Amino acid sequence: MAKELTTQSYIDHHLTNLTCGKTPDGWSCDPHSIDQMGFWSFHVDSLFWSVFLGAVFIFVFKWAMPKNVDASAPPTGLQNFVEMSIEFVEDNVQSLFGTTKNKLIAPLALTVFVWILLMNLMDLVPVDFIPELAKSVGIEYFKVVPTTDPNITLGMALAVFVLTIYYSITVKGLKAFVAELTLHPFGKWLIPVNFILEMVNFIAKPISLGLRLFGNLYAGEMIFILIALMLFFSSIPVGILGFGLHLVWALFHILIVALQAFIFMALTIAYLAMAHETEEH
Amino acid sequence: MNINATLLAQAIVMIVFVAICWRYIYPPILSVMQEREKKISDGLEAAKKADDSLEEAQLAFNQELDKAKAESAELIDKANQRASQIVNDAKSKAQDEAEKILLAASKTIENETNQAKEELKSKMSEIIIDTTQKILDEEISSEKHDDLLKKAAAEL
Repeated sequence: MAKELTTQSYIDHHLTNLTCGKTPDGWSCDPHSIDQMGFWSFHVDSLFWSVFLGAVFIFVFKWAMPKNVDASAPPTGLQNFVEMSIEFVEDNVQSLFGTTKNKLIAPLALTVFVWILLMNLMDLVPVDFIPELAKSVGIEYFKVVPTTDPNITLGMALAVFVLTIYYSITVKGLKAFVAELTLHPFGKWLIPVNFILEMVNFIAKPISLGLRLFGNLYAGEMIFILIALMLFFSSIPVGILGFGLHLVWALFHILIVALQAFIFMALTIAYLAMAHETEEH
Repeated sequence: MNINATLLAQAIVMIVFVAICWRYIYPPILSVMQEREKKISDGLEAAKKADDSLEEAQLAFNQELDKAKAESAELIDKANQRASQIVNDAKSKAQDEAEKILLAASKTIENETNQAKEELKSKMSEIIIDTTQKILDEEISSEKHDDLLKKAAAEL
């Protein structure tokens, strides 16, 4: 912490999570022992923001629609926003899924969309605001945007993957599901080859789902950090240019933020729709 | 970029949030929206029905109005006929009456004329008799005679 602030250390600082994990000496949250932590460690900052923003989503949507709301009265304010979100999600589910009896898809899509949108939006908070605040209360590393953490995006992709498998088995039946993975594209005489090919296809979905979101947001965050470097480590003209660039990139990033949230939602719906489709061959 | 247990934790967190949304958030909002949708479509349907019945009522109203107009026209026609009839009746009656009165009046006049004539006749004869007597009674000069005659003529 006492070391000199260089561009390298600045970037490193911004890319390091607040991590608590199991070291050979037991559980620790010491940033210096991150290297010794194995799989059993947690990015506390990512999880904090993820849970916090998820709670914001739940709270806002609960608060906007109180129990005794009058259905015949025109909706006002926040209620409008909430209903618009739901209508948006319903439309998307309808177009990708058709009329479905599965009552989980729409809430799942809504949660994914709003939650990821909120997490992505944290990217628009200037890169040093919250980390510096955290530093002032003694937390050295504090990453703000959960979706720039591959653990978060892949974790969500994993949840979607688990749901896909669950619905594949319950809707199609285990036999049909296994058949789908083993009997294409070469028929029953080449089952091992089929299985390898289909497995790649099957596993690529959640990985691409998670990495797409991560990659876009990570790149966006990276550019914000580099622009911030222009402000801190250069001459005044470059700093002013950096200020302009920051504005431009932030405006453009709003698009990416919303688009990536939408893509994640649309793909989630699409994958679950596939899990409901029985193969036609 | 290191993959660790955060991934599992996030997957669990996501499932929890999705479950909360699925159980407690989504259905009430959706039901309110559907309820409103139903109310609106009901309202529109009711409005359409009201419109239809209004049209029907308008039609019935127009029919009634036409009927009433025809009836009133008929009534007015009848009344007019009746009125002209009454006037004509009255006119002819009045004429009859007038004729009668005229007739009666001319009769009366005739009667009175006759009476007057009769009276005159009788009076004249009286005067003649009277005068004749006077002439006979008195010795009369030719002058007196003339006088008398003149008097009688004046009296006539």
